[in-house]
Amino acid sequence: MLKIIIPTIMLMPLTWLSKKNMIWINTTTYSLLISLISLSLLNQPSNNSLNFSLMFFSDPLSAPLLVLTTWLLPLMLMASQHHLSKEPLIRKKLYITMLTMLQTFLIMTFTATELISFYILFEATLVPTLIIITRWGNQTERLNAGLYFLFYTLMGSLPLLVALISIQNLTGSLNFLLIQYWNQALPDSWSNIFLWLACMMAFMVKMPLYGLHLWLPKAHVEAPIAGSMVLAAILLKLGGYGMLRITTMLNPQTSFMAYPFLMLSLWGMIMTSSICLRQTDLKSLIAYSSVSHMALVIVAVLIQTPWSYMGATALMIAHGLTSSMLFCLANSNYERTHSRTMILARGLQTLLPLMAAWWLLASLTNLALPPSINLIGELFVVMSSFSWSNITIILMGANITITALYSLYMLITTQRGKYTHHINSIKPSFTRENALMALHMTPLLLLSLNPKIILGFTYC
Amino acid sequence: MNPLIFTTILMTVLLGTMIVMMSSHWLMIWIGFEMNLLAIIPILMKKYNPRTMEASTKYFLTQATASMLLMMAIIINLMHSGQWTITKVFNPTASIIMTSALAMKLGLTPFHFWVPEVTQGISLTSGLILLTWQKLAPMSILYQISPSINLNILLTMAVLSILVGGWGGLNQTQLRKIMAYSSIAHMGWMTAVLVYSPTLTMLNMLIYIMMTLTMFMLFIHSSSTTTLSLSHTWNKTPLTTTLILITLLSMGGLPPLSGFMPKWMIIQELTKNSSIILPTLMAIMALLNLYFYMRLTYSTSLTMFPSTNNMKMKWQFETKRITLLPPLIVMSSLLLPLTPMLSILD
Repeated sequence: MLKIIIPTIMLMPLTWLSKKNMIWINTTTYSLLISLISLSLLNQPSNNSLNFSLMFFSDPLSAPLLVLTTWLLPLMLMASQHHLSKEPLIRKKLYITMLTMLQTFLIMTFTATELISFYILFEATLVPTLIIITRWGNQTERLNAGLYFLFYTLMGSLPLLVALISIQNLTGSLNFLLIQYWNQALPDSWSNIFLWLACMMAFMVKMPLYGLHLWLPKAHVEAPIAGSMVLAAILLKLGGYGMLRITTMLNPQTSFMAYPFLMLSLWGMIMTSSICLRQTDLKSLIAYSSVSHMALVIVAVLIQTPWSYMGATALMIAHGLTSSMLFCLANSNYERTHSRTMILARGLQTLLPLMAAWWLLASLTNLALPPSINLIGELFVVMSSFSWSNITIILMGANITITALYSLYMLITTQRGKYTHHINSIKPSFTRENALMALHMTPLLLLSLNPKIILGFTYC
Repeated sequence: MNPLIFTTILMTVLLGTMIVMMSSHWLMIWIGFEMNLLAIIPILMKKYNPRTMEASTKYFLTQATASMLLMMAIIINLMHSGQWTITKVFNPTASIIMTSALAMKLGLTPFHFWVPEVTQGISLTSGLILLTWQKLAPMSILYQISPSINLNILLTMAVLSILVGGWGGLNQTQLRKIMAYSSIAHMGWMTAVLVYSPTLTMLNMLIYIMMTLTMFMLFIHSSSTTTLSLSHTWNKTPLTTTLILITLLSMGGLPPLSGFMPKWMIIQELTKNSSIILPTLMAIMALLNLYFYMRLTYSTSLTMFPSTNNMKMKWQFETKRITLLPPLIVMSSLLLPLTPMLSILD
């Protein structure tokens, strides 16, 4: 695993020592190379995980997330080039350093064996993200957004620290590779109920669960493009990944403790999808759509069947790529009109037809069109929740419908219809932007040919 | 002040603390405290104005009261044990009185009222000495009597200190008062784990001193005493804004910076001793501290040009020399990976 971590850390001296005209080229190229190294991890030969050392490992759940993380860094760098072009060189280097630091912590989080090390790195990802949101965001609301983001996540995760230490006290080791073999049922007591809550709340806030989702629209909307991309694509998945890892230790309380969260998620996905239909702010729409998709992942993780785990993993990867692509598309609109209002940039298909093709593909994958991996994820989740309780099919079906509604609403508002009269002075699409969209879409489409690599560790 | 006299007085302060830390006779410890107190009064009053006089008077009164209580505890201990050697204090009355006296010296709740007012009234350098060096002597005595301290009283004072340190700092814009409330909260963390593992108290003290030294050095460098004047550092030395950001995040206890290490170790030690609600509560209340540190970073480093700030630029005085800033910065932010080394302390 050091073959990925050390090059990523060395990206930082690379940015600081690069010349002014080579800075973007250097960092984007080398981060693409690093992502190619991580692709080799997708080859998981045995049923057990690949153990690299006592500290790092990779298994069929963390490998796709790791590949997504490393794939996203060059994309983030490409997307940030325009809005940073007017900044002094030192600030560009600081921005890239923040992204690289965040990337290092994310890679180490996804491959950590020891759960306390996972926790420390999980918290460590907050600091660069906070700096990116508050320092380089564009509106005054970003200060509030940064505070909400930091404090919601910290309030949830401090009980997790206490819970992890008390589990270590009980079991003697928090090494994940050991725990999966040692696993025993938690005795039934009040304090174990609180232990369950303490373990899960950190990830619920991160996902986010419907009642605790207030930080997400603020943070996503106020962040610059790279911040939005990494938040939507990876940081939310940290919550899902953590939940998938820690629910193995928390039986049998999960069978009854999960009910309130299942209700909140099932209801929340309908509510947030419906709110999307009434949004005027494009980034806010995509942010609420993220909440809705992640609510599906929460439902899948809490049901705890093999099919639902497969659906959760597939949905996480698919949503990561789709959501990040939608934010890039929204950003291309923002860079032209300097406003996030949807109707200010409508009818773009006549002016930018290639970008309209990307909008179409992104909206289609967002509404989970077959045969994309979005569909595979959603379908598995719907099927397993139907088998858990037949009535959920009503809510799930309503959610799929409303998701289709708002995705098409977004597509039609921005692309179809008559263009506005002030739109004739926008710049045509840059090659960089088209490359960005292509690099998002290609993995998404190719994965539909071989989805088994993203189906996680319950695929057999 | 005449440099020779200033050196003599400073050396007396140092000597006083050293006497406290190294004596085995209770009377010598009391003498050490008194030497420390009397010698630090002229240092607090380096600038001669009514505000410093008020601060020095408050400091003198509280510390003298605490020394008298300490003397009473020593005498009761003498009555019941018949000897002057410093060991665990066996008599519960003496132990409680001694704990209260030392809490008064440290600034733990409910004896915390003097800390913000005294820190605000004196200059930044004197405030630095007050909040770091002066804590060493009482803490060393607490370390030595730690097996006999009444757990209930100490834990109550610790938790209340963390609460007061968090909530009290929320309404402040003066930097010295913010550092004072931060000191109260950190003292709370230190005394909470004293009975379980005094080594962690010392670890927390060490890292707290490093972080406070760093913060004060950065404030002295930009000669700023309010939040508004701190927001001008990006004009004078933009690098210090980043350093202020890193050190404040470290004081708030965010991983992966070294300020997280004492909090993590303390939570671990408390959880191993089967108290679970207490560390959770302490950790959540430390978030209040983080909130006002974040507010400081917002006005200093995270909102910069082209947004304007409301402060008139000050006259450019000569840059004050900062001693030892690079090692301090490194130590107060990058020590977390060295945590496994703590096993040598057992």
